[in-house]
Amino acid sequence: MRIKTEDLTRKFRVGSSKITAVSMINLEINEAEFIAIVGPSGSGKSTLLNLIGLNDQPTYGKIFIDDMDASLLGNGELRKIRLFRIGFVFQTFNLLPTLNALENVELPMFLAGKSQKEQREKAGRLLENVGLRNRLYHRPKELSIGEMQRVAIARALANDSEVIIADEPTGELDSKTAKEIIGLLYDINRNHKTTVIIATHDEKIVEIADTLYTIRDGKLKLEH
Amino acid sequence: MCLRNLFRRKLRSSLCIIGVALAVTITVAVVASTTRYMTVIEEMNVFFNGKIVVVARGVFIIQAFPIGGALPESVVDTLKDIDTVETVVPMLFNLNFKLESEGTQPFPFDVTIGIPAGNWSVLVGSTTLKNGSWPSAESDSRVVVGPSLAGQYNVTVGSIIEIEKHELEVSGIMETRSAFLSRSVIMPLKLAQETFRYPMQVNMVIVTPDEKADENELSDRIEKEISYVMALSDHERNELTEPILSQVETWNRGIKSVLFFLSMVLVTVVAVMNVSERRKDFATLIAIGASRGFIVRVVMTETFLIGLFGGLIGLVFGTIGALWLGSTYTGIPITLFFPGVFEVVPLSFMLQILVSTVTVSCIAGVIPSIAATRMNITEVLRAEY
Repeated sequence: MRIKTEDLTRKFRVGSSKITAVSMINLEINEAEFIAIVGPSGSGKSTLLNLIGLNDQPTYGKIFIDDMDASLLGNGELRKIRLFRIGFVFQTFNLLPTLNALENVELPMFLAGKSQKEQREKAGRLLENVGLRNRLYHRPKELSIGEMQRVAIARALANDSEVIIADEPTGELDSKTAKEIIGLLYDINRNHKTTVIIATHDEKIVEIADTLYTIRDGKLKLEH
Repeated sequence: MCLRNLFRRKLRSSLCIIGVALAVTITVAVVASTTRYMTVIEEMNVFFNGKIVVVARGVFIIQAFPIGGALPESVVDTLKDIDTVETVVPMLFNLNFKLESEGTQPFPFDVTIGIPAGNWSVLVGSTTLKNGSWPSAESDSRVVVGPSLAGQYNVTVGSIIEIEKHELEVSGIMETRSAFLSRSVIMPLKLAQETFRYPMQVNMVIVTPDEKADENELSDRIEKEISYVMALSDHERNELTEPILSQVETWNRGIKSVLFFLSMVLVTVVAVMNVSERRKDFATLIAIGASRGFIVRVVMTETFLIGLFGGLIGLVFGTIGALWLGSTYTGIPITLFFPGVFEVVPLSFMLQILVSTVTVSCIAGVIPSIAATRMNITEVLRAEY
């Protein structure tokens, strides 16, 4: 999946004033790329990822998905792209607390209408791939934070997403676990040709990314 | 998933279910009991369908039956002489009596009816006897007892019961589902007059008009010709009780409406709390591709489950409550109500209450589910980091 933005701008109203979270961003993301977006807190990283992930709509500018203008798509079509083509990994994992690891990974497949057998088999396989074979029936509160992030990554891959958007995926983790998670995302990118877009502070990601952008005050700059 | 979500906050959900259950309990107990008594009152009029009931002027009437009052037995002959009157059957109806089985147990507040031997069908229609036989003559000092009374006091054919210090032998037990007849003692008119000290007196007369007669016109004529009586046609009897029945019905509707409304408010408040507490979960679901319809289904299923559990628990306790009320107000032991539990609280009524409770709970889920789908997910995801 190729993603392209043109003059992407997002403004928020806070009280009586308007804040420009991202401003005039032009970027192109090709298939199987590993992209890192680095910037301080409040620089607009999450806003940019939400726009690229079709969770939000720009104030100005356009987003193209495979040369198709996303602003022309209806809510149902945007939802289907999020469900089938994009996987999200959040800083705080955002696992559903009442579901166990297996059920959390099954959830996107359930939403996609896959059979229960297929859901169970694939969720088990994905959790095994992220090293959680023995934690299938544990609920989030029974998992360590590193394990929770692995479940979140497995969930992002459930519908064979072409793009994984990870917003500060190592922000809550200690350095050892963070390294493992980065390695996992890197393997997914290299082995499955899945595009990975990460917003991060982590320098290790900066080192392995194909393309590095920095963002400051909503303005994006290509570093390499 | 919805069940687990619901019981993620065990205390809150349990209290909400108890609240709904309480509302359903009160609704079932009160409405079923009053509806039962209304049915009994309505049932009384069926006994004399198409007939005219003649009672003393000014007497208080519940449907077809007078409370007190007396008429000379000679009124029967006067009525027979009136044009277009086909048959005339006098009766002595008594509400307040105490009957003792083998001198031990008083019967509370039931009915005794005296009617000339051989005219039983005027009162009981096609009702048959489970055991025994009807008293054969006016001089017979035997009585027939309704099945509920017989069951309560272990009365069988041949038992001796005592009414107003008169020892009477039971000659038969009726086979009937009528709430009125099952609590009745029926005896020959002469025996009733002697037992209740109504010498040569009756308190109601059943007049059957002939084929040519107009019931309302005949009742007017009877009242004109015999100044001290009231002659009530079907229509007039219904008119007497109609205001009472409609008032009870209005109260029942009011009770149901208030309690269902309170249930709805309770479920809405709990569902709104659940949704606002799980904003991050709903935002995540939408972000990973859940449709708005799926979110609505999740919230509505949770409120549906509250209604279902509350409704079922309420039905159980409400039914017990209705039986307890029935027992308290009639003096009939509660155990005697168990076999006829679905007559006190009919299955159709239970179903109606359950469907209403679940519907109300689902309606209560509408506002919270709309709130869940309308949230700005980027704001929620950002704010809740």
